[in-house]
Amino acid sequence: MNGMNTAELIEYRIQHLRDRLAREDIAELGVRIEMHGATAHLSGSVASADCRAEVLRIAGEELAGVAWHQDVTVNCAAPPDHSEELS
Amino acid sequence: MIRVAAVGDIHLGPGSEGTLRPAFETVGAHADLLLLAGDLTRHGTAEEARVVAHEVAGLPVPVAAVLGNHDYQSDQEAAVAEELARVGVHVLEGDGVVLDIDGTKVGVAGTKGFGGGFAGRCASDFGEPEMKSFVQYTRRSANSLRESLHELRGAGCAIRIALTHFSPVEDTLAGEPREIYPFLGSYLLAEAVDDAGADLAVHGHAHAGKEHGMTAGGIRVRNVAMPVIDRAFAVYHLSANGHMRHGAHR
Repeated sequence: MNGMNTAELIEYRIQHLRDRLAREDIAELGVRIEMHGATAHLSGSVASADCRAEVLRIAGEELAGVAWHQDVTVNCAAPPDHSEELS
Repeated sequence: MIRVAAVGDIHLGPGSEGTLRPAFETVGAHADLLLLAGDLTRHGTAEEARVVAHEVAGLPVPVAAVLGNHDYQSDQEAAVAEELARVGVHVLEGDGVVLDIDGTKVGVAGTKGFGGGFAGRCASDFGEPEMKSFVQYTRRSANSLRESLHELRGAGCAIRIALTHFSPVEDTLAGEPREIYPFLGSYLLAEAVDDAGADLAVHGHAHAGKEHGMTAGGIRVRNVAMPVIDRAFAVYHLSANGHMRHGAHR
């Protein structure tokens, strides 16, 4: 493996994506990125639709040329419809 | 019966004003107090904290909070706490607050907590200064939680709640990669809660975890990270008379 271009190694690219999501304005550490076969999967729930759009934009840049799917959702901000009895 | 609303990891900032305010304005119909379990901002700036403060200002129930790791990111954690305190939020770090809820004393002991891992698979206070500093930081946080819970008992609280950002138990981390558990919490927090006793432990931080867990001593733990509860806040009903008593005072 000597001399291999590390920019082409998918596990490093995925980690760089995680680092960038944390470092940039959205400061998002809650998105899970894993390889399923040869495809990267992004999943998790984020604070807003804008945040989700930004995650997907950055992923598009960092994973250019790599097959990837996403299942990133937005947190529900509605009041609760139930409570839990702890007695 | 005391109704406790709780949420963590709301990650607000400029641009997200009003996201939670409509739901928070209903909190009085659901609960007697609101707990915020840290990671209230994205980068921990005073500007972001002002957005959080506006979301919770003037609510009809008392609000107690701890900060999370995101709230420390810009080294402005004191300013973040100040912005929240300015609107009446009880910001806890190594201390507690006694709330009078219709004549019932409810005590909330709070600390951000930290990582280190869980019994049998955790960091040790040994070796390089950085490693010792890491573990000692968590230990100090856990000790402060223990002392605060003891003080709340001494103050005659009928209900005591431990509020942290990092998790005291592994149970509520299920769904997260096991390899990162040491960065998500520490058994030292649970040991402190079991030692001092509490009626409920509430935390955030683990976005992919699950809501329900329990300490080794049988104290219920709830992960209220917003991605986990998937609503503006979760609500737990605690009985001041007849609820299970745990910990050193058994």
